[in-house]
Amino acid sequence: MALLEVENLQTHFRTPGGINRAVDGVSFHVNEGETLAIVGESGCGKSVTSMSLMRLIPEPPGRIAGSIRFAGRDLLKLSDREMRAIRGNDISMIFQEPMTSLNPVLTVGRQIRETLMIHQGLDKQAAEAHAIEMLTLVGIPEPKRRVGEYPHQLSGGMRQRVMIAVALACNPKLLIADEPTTALDVTIQAQILKLMLDLKRRVGAAIILITHDLGVVAEIAERVMVMYAGRKVEEAPVAELFRSPRHPYTQGLLGAVPKLGSSLAGTATRLAEIPGQVPDLRKPITGCVFAGRCALATDLCRQYAPGLEEKGPRHIAACHYAAKGAIAA
Amino acid sequence: MLSYILRRIVATLPVMAIVALFVFSLLYIAPGDPAVVIAGDQASPEDVERIRQSLGLDRPFLVQFGSWVWRILHGDLGTSIFTNLPVSAMIAQRLGPTLSLMIVTLLLTVVVAVPLGVVAAWKAGSLIDRVIMGFAVFGFSLPVFVVGYMLAYIFALELEWLPVQGYTPLSSGFWPWLENLILPAIALGCVYIALVARITRAAMLEVLQQDYIRTAKAKGLGQGGILFIHALKNAAVPIVTVIGIGIALLIGGAVVTESVFAIPGLGRLTIDAILRRDYPVIQGIVLLFSFVYVLVNLMIDVVYTLVDPRIRY
Repeated sequence: MALLEVENLQTHFRTPGGINRAVDGVSFHVNEGETLAIVGESGCGKSVTSMSLMRLIPEPPGRIAGSIRFAGRDLLKLSDREMRAIRGNDISMIFQEPMTSLNPVLTVGRQIRETLMIHQGLDKQAAEAHAIEMLTLVGIPEPKRRVGEYPHQLSGGMRQRVMIAVALACNPKLLIADEPTTALDVTIQAQILKLMLDLKRRVGAAIILITHDLGVVAEIAERVMVMYAGRKVEEAPVAELFRSPRHPYTQGLLGAVPKLGSSLAGTATRLAEIPGQVPDLRKPITGCVFAGRCALATDLCRQYAPGLEEKGPRHIAACHYAAKGAIAA
Repeated sequence: MLSYILRRIVATLPVMAIVALFVFSLLYIAPGDPAVVIAGDQASPEDVERIRQSLGLDRPFLVQFGSWVWRILHGDLGTSIFTNLPVSAMIAQRLGPTLSLMIVTLLLTVVVAVPLGVVAAWKAGSLIDRVIMGFAVFGFSLPVFVVGYMLAYIFALELEWLPVQGYTPLSSGFWPWLENLILPAIALGCVYIALVARITRAAMLEVLQQDYIRTAKAKGLGQGGILFIHALKNAAVPIVTVIGIGIALLIGGAVVTESVFAIPGLGRLTIDAILRRDYPVIQGIVLLFSFVYVLVNLMIDVVYTLVDPRIRY
């Protein structure tokens, strides 16, 4: 059953240079306990999508339209008070920057306690005990001591663990992780990903993982949605997507991933890059959003925007030519 | 922490010594010979010379300075040339009203200016923000005596809500004490409130951009909790600094305010002493104000460590 159903989400920003259509008509769903990855390059609208789900976009200049049905309720129709009761409780978030996402002048314990006291109505003692429990759960040694420490006394990896503890304290149904490992060392990245998966299994939360790291996607996601220029261009189960990407943009993304050991094996090739720039989202786009950078684009692509079509089992993509074997690289 | 405070106190000693040297030099820099002033218009040169000798004004500068410092360290600020009373007693007598005025002004400022600044930052660019900042510019540009007379005219003479002037000690009741201090505190606090509100707004604007504020929102905190706990505590260092610097403004402003509202405090004593060239009194007051200022700075440094755990000494 779908926990979250997003229908025609449009997040636009009023700017001096015109209306920036950061997210323009994106629909997707997340099932209970499922992990959906949203991938795309910087500026494709993936972070704005996640912030829109939490209604953390400042309005104005932002404006969110469409519908976001979470557990049967349209989040866009809730009052601010109702929305606050959902944030941090039913849906919580982990951010990219563990160094700056925790409040530097409040103790770690206080920052975990807060959500418990607001949402679960725990008193200070109970919340403190639960905070220590959460720190133990996310693998922080000496939790009783750490709970009274400040963020600057912790390393980056530890801070991200604290962020996870904050996010999972109230057993959310949905966890949105916006580039949770991008700012961390590779060894720490693996630990944090494993931790997220362990905890997800324990609390049964669904995860929306926003990333541009396809290695991370392959590791933990079940389904992948590819975004480009504020639109969804492809969506498929993770194995299917890696095996047979249909959209030229997705193929470009996969081609840009270096293969470890390829030079030793003598199979090294020049990394494929996607030429050109993301289009200016303040100008109306006719035709396919990717046409300007696509090697296969034809006049058809430049005139008519392709719709999302079924290209395989549970696999959809928005490309006029995706069905044809010619581009299945 | 305690050792830090002790070290800081020791470090203020040279500052105080330099201040003392300046204060003492006043006698030599300022025009007019104190011996002539004390002796009066009818005195003969012999009288003046006698007075000069009795005050020790004929001895070398450093000797005079040394014995002056020695006496101060023993709590003796000298004797007023005009009233013949000990300077310390004269200051003690006037300390109550000035201290009352300063404390009420300080509290009023913090209670009014900080929330105004926070709201202005929260609603940055809105009408509320522009109104608050407009008042801040207004408050900043009006001299204390203009505000003082305006307030006295409106609230005391026309509306008769509050007394026009005067001072009642706290020992005769809280309200009679406060009643006399409200208008002076507003007049004196105007510039101070404007300054603190502006700094609060600026500091909050920067803090509200930070990632941890987004985190606080994502946790489901209400606006109040975000602004006054998560944001304000981070913005506190510059705000506390300006509140501290503002105490220097208060000391200067108190002199004018006390004159406008006929408050028998140190400000009035200062003016009287200057007009009478009563050097021991001037020296005593300047020394006291300097000491208070050094003390306030020390307190600010200690407050830093309370609001920001990253600051450790």
